[in-house]
Amino acid sequence: MATYSPGRRRVIIALALTSLFLLTLDLRGNQVLDGVRSGFGFAFRPINRAGEVVTTPVVRLWRSYREFDDLEEENRQLRAEIDGQRSAEISAQNAIIENQDLLALAGLESLASYGSVTGRLVGQSPSNFDQQVEIDRGAVHGIRVGMAAINEAGLVGKVTSVAPQSSIIMLVTDPSYAVPVKILASNEASGSASSMATTTPSTTEVVADPAQTVDSQAPLSTEGEPTSSTTTTLVEIVRETGVLRGQGSDRLPRVSFVASGIGFGQIEVGDTVFTAGGSTSLAPPNIPLGRVLNVITRVGTAGQELEIEPTADLSRLQFVRVVLYQPASEVAQ
Amino acid sequence: MNDTPARIWLTRVVLIGLIVLSLQMTIATEIRPFGVVIQIVLAFAVAAGAASGPGEGAKVGFVLGLMYDLATGLSMGSTAMSMAFGGYVAGWGRQYRLEPTWWMLAALTSIGAAVGEAFVPIMRVLTGETGVFGARVALVLPVVALSSGLLSTLLIPIARWALAIRPTEIRVAGADT
Repeated sequence: MATYSPGRRRVIIALALTSLFLLTLDLRGNQVLDGVRSGFGFAFRPINRAGEVVTTPVVRLWRSYREFDDLEEENRQLRAEIDGQRSAEISAQNAIIENQDLLALAGLESLASYGSVTGRLVGQSPSNFDQQVEIDRGAVHGIRVGMAAINEAGLVGKVTSVAPQSSIIMLVTDPSYAVPVKILASNEASGSASSMATTTPSTTEVVADPAQTVDSQAPLSTEGEPTSSTTTTLVEIVRETGVLRGQGSDRLPRVSFVASGIGFGQIEVGDTVFTAGGSTSLAPPNIPLGRVLNVITRVGTAGQELEIEPTADLSRLQFVRVVLYQPASEVAQ
Repeated sequence: MNDTPARIWLTRVVLIGLIVLSLQMTIATEIRPFGVVIQIVLAFAVAAGAASGPGEGAKVGFVLGLMYDLATGLSMGSTAMSMAFGGYVAGWGRQYRLEPTWWMLAALTSIGAAVGEAFVPIMRVLTGETGVFGARVALVLPVVALSSGLLSTLLIPIARWALAIRPTEIRVAGADT
C-alpha cells in the first residue's frame, strides 16, 4: 500500500474544484441543476418513505422513552393555562372581529385576505447547521419560493425550495433567515395625546387611542378631602421597525436596526413583534412573531438589538400553513 | 488499491448512499443525542475512507455529499466538499497501517467525521452565511465524531462490500511450499 502519491492529491484537488464549480453555478441559479435536484427528489421520495416506514417503530420507541415525563408535566401545565385563557379568548375573538371589520371598512388587507395551504411536516433538516423542515405540499398546490409559513401561534419561516409535491421551509431561527418586523409597545401614560405625539421622532408612530381613554374618579384632594376630579389615562401604541434575523437553533432570533435614541419608543421586555409587510417583504404584515425577551443596548450608533422569543414552538411543528402571498414586487417579475 | 470497475463501484456506492441518506433523513433527525443530529451519511463516507484510503474516501464522500445536497436542497457542492475532505482525512491516516485493528478504524472514522463536519460551517461562511460559528460547534463536533466512531464497526464492513475491498493477502516467502 502506497503511503503517498501525487495522484491522490490530484483527486482531492479535482473534487474540491468541481465542488466549487457546482457551488458557483448553483448560487448563481442554474436550470440544469434545478432540474437534476427536482429529478433526484422525485426518485428519492419512495426510498425516503420506505425509510420512514422501517424506522417509525424505533422513532416511536425513542420518543416514548424520552418524552413521556415531559409530556405529562406539560399536559398538566397546559390544562391550567387553558383554564386561565378561556375568558381571554372570548375577548380576543371579539377584538379580532372588530379589527377585521375596521380593516375591511378602511380597505386594508389583513392575513385573512390571503389564501393558504396547510401542509404536514414530513421531514426535518438532517444537518446540524440548518433549521429547515419539509412539508408535503408543493408547487401543484400553489406554493412558491419566498412565501411565509405560519402556524396557529405565529410565523414559522419561509419557503426556500419547492418541488411539485413538497416544499422546504427555512425556520425563523436559521442564520440565513431575515424579515422586516415592527415592534408594538403598549405603554400606559398620563397626559394629553398631542404633547406625546410632538416629542416623537418620525420613525416612531405614537397612536393615542381615544377609544381607550379611561375616566377615573380621584378619591382624595391634596388636603385629604374627597373631591371629584377626572384624570385621563392614554394607551399609546409605539411602533418601531427593524429586521429580524435567525441566530441558529441554540440562540434566539434578534431584531437589529432599532434606533436607541432618547426620543424613540420605549421598547421593553414583553413587547410584541409582528411582521412589517411592505412592498419588498416576502411576508404579509401583521403576522405575530414573538415577544421581546431581552433588550440589548449597543454603544455608538449601532442602535438597540432585541432578542425575540418566537410564539410558535418550532421544535414541535406538525402542521404548517403557507400563506399564498407574494408582494407586488415579486408578482411583477 | 481498488480495481473494481467504475460502474459497479458507482452502483454500489449510490445504492448504499440512498439507504444511509434515507436513514439520515428519518431516524437521525429524530434521535438526537444532546440535541445533535448524528451524521450517518458522513460516517459512511469517512468509514469508506478508513477502509480503503484517501482517494477512495474522497470520491465516496464527494458522491454521497452530492446526493445529500440534492436531497436536502442545500447549495450543490457544499456538503460534497465537506464529505470529500472527511473521507480523504480518514483515508490519509489509514495508509500508515497495513492491517489496522477495529479500534484504529473507529478512531480514523471519528477524526474524519470531525473534520468533515467542521467543514460544513466553513463552507457556509464561504457562501456568505453568517452566524454559523457558535458555541454549538463545540458540542456538535465531538458528538458527531463519537457517534461516527461507534457506527464505524457497522459501516466499515458495508463500505468494504460497496468498494469490493478484499482482505489483504500477506505472502511470506517459502511459507506455502
